[in-house]
Amino acid sequence: MTRRYFRKIHVNMERMHDIIRAPVITEKSTRGSEHNQVTFRVAPDASKPEIMAAVEGLFGVKVKGVNTIAQQGKVKRFRGRLGKRADYKKAVVTLEEGHSIDVTTGI
Amino acid sequence: MQVTETNAEGLRREFKVVFPASELGERMDARLKELSGQVNIPGFRPGKVPATIIKARFGDAVRGEVIERALNEGAQRTLEEQGVRPATQPKVEVDEYEAGQDLAFTIAVEVLPEIEPADFAKYTLERLEPVADDEAVQEALDGMSKQYGKLETVEKKRAAKDGDVLVIDFTGRVDGEEFQGGKAEDFHLALGSGTFIPGFEDQLIGAKSGEGKDVTVTFPADYGNADLAGKEAVFEVAVKEIKESVASEIDDEFAKQLGHESVDGLREAIRGQIESGMKDVARGRIKRTLFDRLDETHDFPLPEGMVEMEFESIWQRVQQDKEAGQLDADDEGKSDDDLRAEYRGIAERRVKLGLLLSEIGTRNNISVAQEEVNRAMMGQVRNFPGQAEQVIEFYRSNPQAMDQIRAPLFEEKVVDFILEMAQVTPRKVSREELIAASEEGEEGKAEKKAKAPAKKKAPAKKKAAAKDETPAKAEASAEKKAPAKKKAALKKKAVAKGKAKDD
Repeated sequence: MTRRYFRKIHVNMERMHDIIRAPVITEKSTRGSEHNQVTFRVAPDASKPEIMAAVEGLFGVKVKGVNTIAQQGKVKRFRGRLGKRADYKKAVVTLEEGHSIDVTTGI
Repeated sequence: MQVTETNAEGLRREFKVVFPASELGERMDARLKELSGQVNIPGFRPGKVPATIIKARFGDAVRGEVIERALNEGAQRTLEEQGVRPATQPKVEVDEYEAGQDLAFTIAVEVLPEIEPADFAKYTLERLEPVADDEAVQEALDGMSKQYGKLETVEKKRAAKDGDVLVIDFTGRVDGEEFQGGKAEDFHLALGSGTFIPGFEDQLIGAKSGEGKDVTVTFPADYGNADLAGKEAVFEVAVKEIKESVASEIDDEFAKQLGHESVDGLREAIRGQIESGMKDVARGRIKRTLFDRLDETHDFPLPEGMVEMEFESIWQRVQQDKEAGQLDADDEGKSDDDLRAEYRGIAERRVKLGLLLSEIGTRNNISVAQEEVNRAMMGQVRNFPGQAEQVIEFYRSNPQAMDQIRAPLFEEKVVDFILEMAQVTPRKVSREELIAASEEGEEGKAEKKAKAPAKKKAPAKKKAAAKDETPAKAEASAEKKAPAKKKAALKKKAVAKGKAKDD
């Protein structure tokens, strides 16, 4: 994967905690761990540079790149009426060689 | 697994067992792998969960499980490899363990003593063969004839005496007023029967038929009717007739009435009845003397744990009796320490005899067949008429209860076995001699033990005799690990039964 260069931005601590919501632990996400990738749910309005800064700030690792998926919430029917689940954003964060995050332990 | 014996003092054995960390790790991994196929974690299809995640989630639980198994297995294998026959449940204690380290633990256990049965052929015992003498039969016969006698009016005038039945009219008054239930006509009152309030019947002794008499009595303070309790009452009594019971003639007629061909037949039946009753006593006596002999001629160390368990169960019962205020008369006034010492002696004896009997039993391949158990069970069923099915169901679903039936059978068989080998001399005795002999046996025993006044030992002995069977059972069924509680409960029942029989 080619290294993506983001412009380094400053993100304060509070915002970092807002951005990173939870690790995504699924079969698909564990597949990424072979390539040193970690997946998080992030705030829908977070940008890639913000996510990079937050992961580096919270976990003390170096990030090589960030890919994001804006996942639309599913439209569900409840008692005949249409409803919509919340949209969310996932970020697949690739770490530099030699860095790792243990997603099971929490911050 | 590494085993070292650290202590082998008397019957105690202690082993130190070390499980290497690598072995534990292997077991954990195997267990985790097994789990991965079963657990359902969101985000993963069943069986597709990576090992790391399973480990993070279930690692601690699996570790506990693996350690527990290792402890159990370690204890079991150690005992097997070392050829130890445990008398009690082994105590397992973990010395040290940290995740990823070797697991070290100690097993403390008491072993069954080596028992060398004595040469039973050297035993000389006396078997009392009770014979009901004619006197006893006659006595029983007289009693029956009286029981089946009829009342006859005494024709000639004479004073009423104890045992007579008076036909009376009476009116009772308290303070000149008649009261409820104080009046009756043609009442049949047997003098000396104690039907009426104390004093009433006594005052009628000497009365003649056709005579009137005033009887003054005081109602007892605890009389059922509170209004009358403690009051003085005057009864106007008119004696109408005096009857006396006349024993029916002992003849073939009487025998037929009781379902026998002739008087001789009846006599035989009575004799048989008396003798069979006495046979139980005689059997009890020879068993007791045999147990005494066994006790004397064998000496082996007793596992303290078993004695302790046995003692606890007795002691608990003693305490209960005490609280209920039903302590044996001769136990009263004794200090707890004295009682403890005494009952500990009994507990030791029971454990000793139990171990001994089971050892003799296993050495000589004595076992109780299922049919015999079933027969005994049917005997039990007969005690609960109408509930046969529940009783059978109870035993079927309750192996412990089954053992309770099996135990006395086993004991009897072993006793029979020993008696067969021993030199038994029969002696014919009458009932009096039998009773005297069986009492003497108990007294003699008590003196030998010299722990308590002779009287005390008698009931205790009985208990011991009844209970001896239970440890035997525990062994016989090889259920050495059965929880102490259950055993204790069983024993209690056995005692109750034994007591009832002895009484």
